[in-house]
Amino acid sequence: MPPSFRDGLREGFRAFLPLSVGLIPWALVTGLTMSGVGFTPLQAMGMNVIVFAGTAQLGTLPLIAAGTPVWLIVITAFVLNLRFIIFSAALARGFRGVPLGARWLSGHLLTDGAFATCLEKMLSHPDPQWRLGYYLGPSLWSWLLWQVFAFCGVMAAGSIPRGWSLEFMATIALIVLLVPMARVRPMLVAALVGGGLAVALRGMPLRLGVIVAIVAGIAAGFAAERWRGKDLP
Amino acid sequence: MNYDWTLWGLFILLGLATTLPRASFIVLGERAALPESLQKALRYAPAAALAAIVAPDIFVSGGELTLFSPRLAAAVAAVLAALLFRNPWLPFITGMGVLWGLGHLLPA
Repeated sequence: MPPSFRDGLREGFRAFLPLSVGLIPWALVTGLTMSGVGFTPLQAMGMNVIVFAGTAQLGTLPLIAAGTPVWLIVITAFVLNLRFIIFSAALARGFRGVPLGARWLSGHLLTDGAFATCLEKMLSHPDPQWRLGYYLGPSLWSWLLWQVFAFCGVMAAGSIPRGWSLEFMATIALIVLLVPMARVRPMLVAALVGGGLAVALRGMPLRLGVIVAIVAGIAAGFAAERWRGKDLP
Repeated sequence: MNYDWTLWGLFILLGLATTLPRASFIVLGERAALPESLQKALRYAPAAALAAIVAPDIFVSGGELTLFSPRLAAAVAAVLAALLFRNPWLPFITGMGVLWGLGHLLPA
């Protein structure tokens, strides 16, 4: 393990640690839900390891339970993860000089939290080994938390009161990521348009409204930057 | 409800459907570079996407637009905590505190 990889790993982990608590209730809820639709613990953890995608898991479980055709379940999961094509493209430059196997692993481990934590450093740090470490620190930690607490949820199914609304901690974690970004005016415009449209278009089938809202938010931020006539600092 | 072995086939298909979008450009790398202006626009992706995921959690309840709710108050508290203080745990403490406090005062 090169020393710069280890340095990056440590710094990425440290930057992400406080935010990562938001994953815990999300993983618990996913575990509870997988038990709720009748998976055995082995099936539940199999899905958790193979799919490793919170929104796609939670979004497809009701369809699986209802006996929906496989193709529709798979398309739904794909659409729920479409936003990651955008994230993946934004991060791609940060993986210059990183071997192919590590890229596949990094792709599979990509999450909202890891993306928001790592993007800036991934595009600015000169050392590929350091960048890979800085990315894998938060990503591997997310993976571990996700498996451990989903397992806790599977085991605890039925004994955690729903009234605790623990899943709201995941929303707070995303807010904590969003607040510093929205200090820059065009970013704020992007967030307002993205959030507003996601609410307005919530009735679109297959949660396609979220995709439309993200694309429109990006366009609005870009337009706001052009309109101000200067680039972001 | 019981599931047979085909459930594992579905998991593998779901794994592909969720991993391919994530791995796409990370794996293709320089061979599929996006145009400069698209890259610039993509800097707005995290803000737009995070807001698009969070906003329905805060403003929609049971499919209906809800402008005043314990969740909105909790979100406002979390935003204020994040803006005013550097402590990274505080937004979670204030947000969940407000959510539980209001949930106690106003049983739905």
